[in-house]
Amino acid sequence: MLLLLPAAAFFTSHARARDTLSTDQPVLIQPVLVAAVMCEAIEKFKPVNQAVVFSISLGRVFCFTEFDPVPQETTVYHRWYRQDRLISTAKLVLNPPKWSSFSTMQLREADKGPWRVEIVDSREKLMKTLRFSISD
Amino acid sequence: MGQFFYQFFGIGWQGFFDIALNSYILFRLYVLFRGTNVLRVLFAMGIFWVLRQVAVSMGLVVTSWAMQGVIAVAALVIIIVFRNEISSVLQTRDLKSFFWGIPRYQRNTPVHIIVEGVYELARKKIGALIVLPLNQGVESFVQKGISWQGKLSKEMLVSIFWDDNPVHDGAAVIQGDRITNVGVILPLSKRADLPSYFGTRHRAAVGLTEQTDSMVIVVSEERGKITLVKDNRIYDINDRSVLEKLLIKHAGQDTAAAGLKKHTRELAAAAAVCLVCVTGLWLSFSRGMESLATHTIPVEFIKSDQNMEIFSSSASSVTLLISGARPLIRSLGPDRITVKLSLANTVPGTNKLAVSRSSVTLPPGIVVKNIDPSMIEVTVDVPVKKELPVQPFWTGRLSRDLIMTLAETTPEKVHVIGPRQVLTQMETLFTEPLPLDGITASGRISALIVLHPPTIRLADQDKHTISVEYTIHKRETVSP
Repeated sequence: MLLLLPAAAFFTSHARARDTLSTDQPVLIQPVLVAAVMCEAIEKFKPVNQAVVFSISLGRVFCFTEFDPVPQETTVYHRWYRQDRLISTAKLVLNPPKWSSFSTMQLREADKGPWRVEIVDSREKLMKTLRFSISD
Repeated sequence: MGQFFYQFFGIGWQGFFDIALNSYILFRLYVLFRGTNVLRVLFAMGIFWVLRQVAVSMGLVVTSWAMQGVIAVAALVIIIVFRNEISSVLQTRDLKSFFWGIPRYQRNTPVHIIVEGVYELARKKIGALIVLPLNQGVESFVQKGISWQGKLSKEMLVSIFWDDNPVHDGAAVIQGDRITNVGVILPLSKRADLPSYFGTRHRAAVGLTEQTDSMVIVVSEERGKITLVKDNRIYDINDRSVLEKLLIKHAGQDTAAAGLKKHTRELAAAAAVCLVCVTGLWLSFSRGMESLATHTIPVEFIKSDQNMEIFSSSASSVTLLISGARPLIRSLGPDRITVKLSLANTVPGTNKLAVSRSSVTLPPGIVVKNIDPSMIEVTVDVPVKKELPVQPFWTGRLSRDLIMTLAETTPEKVHVIGPRQVLTQMETLFTEPLPLDGITASGRISALIVLHPPTIRLADQDKHTISVEYTIHKRETVSP
């Protein structure tokens, strides 16, 4: 029904964030989610064609998340639900000082309908819910 | 005995009315045809009917067929043979006596008047023929005759047989204290052993007694002799006391009071017999004619825990196949049947409840043959309220050069009420399918919220419709 691709993650240099972490801000245990979008593709570490409706003909759909700062190495999860049924969970490892990662879902004909992806931190705290639909 | 009363009180008012009406009709038939042979034939037909029922129950095909034929023929025979009795009953102009009149006690035949009259006739050598019917009646065996209905007296009797009287040649019929018919022609006997001096009157007297249980008195015109014929026996009467004795024996010796008592007792017994027969017949018919019926009855769920709520059931009514006596089945309305299911042993979630016969309440005399469905699934739970986001359910295909970047619902969330178990697992509500095909630019549409499973409902029942605002952009990179 689905093919969960290995979550991809990539580090982006972000000196200002790292400085802020070391001087003004208290040490954060959990990363801060600064961007979470559904998109048609990932190119050059950036989401392409953010949308809330995707055609089944695309073959796959991506969930892109960006965390800044990431105080320490930690884990987040992308939980993919079709309607209210959990289809898959992607475990993503985040590394300091900032990190972007994505998970993807291979689509089939039976996958049409409303979906959501829940982004959950290592403490099972819901950080963000992205809602989208798979259409013809 | 208890079973009898159970059965009996399950009859209903229609049954009681039915039995009472037919018992009365039977009783009236007895009263109207009492003293005639019609009743005997009817009694014989009743015996044949009972025999036929027994034969049918034993599977004796030919016997039951023969009994049925006999009954049919007997019915025809009654109409033909007893046409006079039947017509005399039906032609009565007194409706009161026909429908509800009870004939009063028939006075004893005044024997001494008959004796005096007969001796007066003999003394004057006036030929006479006097018939005193008993139980069998003579209407079927005699011809002509003129209704007289005159009170019996010696003078009347003598005057009837007076030579100049136009009816003096026939017989006079005496019933009770009245002369009912005169000028009656009796059947002649064909016996060859009768004395040579016997004339037509004597032969007629013997002829009638050969066929009936009547007594006939003959007064010879030539010799002035009195002859009495009874049960085919001929008595030459030479002594007044002998005639009186024979008459008393024939007519009975009851006094007026004793006769009235006997008469009342006879009618009461007849009424009781009619009631018993018709009741038995009714019970026999009602049991034999057991019929089936189906009724669809709503199920009443009895809650034991007031906090629990029924969220769904696989059936809200059951179809009952019931059987019982046809009158009971016909008079039975759905409002007299109840089906109750207790929720005392249910747990939160889906429960299977058996609809047994003990769940069904029916009037006495009616039983349940089948229950459909025999099992009902009921979802019970403690109702809870939860706020859920509403997500658009897009279908169809958006144009390839367009991309929907945002879709927001207003309100974003709604409150729903439902079973705790269901709502614990629910995180989203969805709209009805919204078509993408016609969308070319950003806009707003209304959509209905789909409540699934049906056990949930909106807390605010009026807000089934939400607004969906969507944003459309031109695609910069058209995907392959």
